[in-house]
Amino acid sequence: MDQKGLTFKIFIFLVLNDFLETGAQSLFKTAAVSQENFHISQGHDVLIFIGHMITFPLVWLGLLAVVLIFTSWSTILSRIDLSMATPIASFSYVLVAVAAVVFFHEHVGWLRWTGILFILAGVSLVSTSAPKKQDLN
Amino acid sequence: MNKQELFIIFLIVLSGICDTLNQLCIKSSINTIDMHVASLKKAFILVWKIAWMPLAWLAFIFSCTSLIIWLYVLSKAALSFAYTVDSMHYIFIAFASSLILKEKVEPKRWLGTILIMGGIILVTLTGAD
Repeated sequence: MDQKGLTFKIFIFLVLNDFLETGAQSLFKTAAVSQENFHISQGHDVLIFIGHMITFPLVWLGLLAVVLIFTSWSTILSRIDLSMATPIASFSYVLVAVAAVVFFHEHVGWLRWTGILFILAGVSLVSTSAPKKQDLN
Repeated sequence: MNKQELFIIFLIVLSGICDTLNQLCIKSSINTIDMHVASLKKAFILVWKIAWMPLAWLAFIFSCTSLIIWLYVLSKAALSFAYTVDSMHYIFIAFASSLILKEKVEPKRWLGTILIMGGIILVTLTGAD
């Protein structure tokens, strides 16, 4: 199948993907915060922790978001190259940090923002270095 | 950096390793199938074929393990910290695809990897809260 250029429709899908990713992480975080004081000190504590988590509807909602992300990501990758999609998708690093500040009142200082920008640049470089076509197989 | 923060970073690394193993298993199982996905029907056939491969189930187990570790990490660390440090799996995947899948890794990709490492170090300096 021919890979087409970035269309407006695909761009909307990519933005949607970023928001879904941020949504999923926020749901996981909300569920996880309830276990703030739970510490795993023995082997069977892991099972207790899993037991706590799977009874949280928010975790399942987060998983649903993950499935949606997988579907929309597959759609995106069937239309454009990974090297074009990943730099746009990695905008989720900024969006998740914004969500952390807005929803969970986390403090994100300039050092952390700088680190996030480094990662954005790095992810872009890593993904654009991929060969255009994978004819390996 | 205190002991608790070090433990959290260790867990994020562990979840990144699970993610990488997951990707390696998925990629190896897809590599054994010679098929072009040109329609939705073919996509379903591909998924069906993969579902019968033991490697795909191994991938599923790795991704569940990664999620459990991830939830535990989020219960202890700030989201803006954990999510950023988790970008480490790009580095693992770059190494693993070069070492195990024998893919060619260009200098540009190593430069990107170094930038990600730098970013993670900066975020780590700010502490896990």
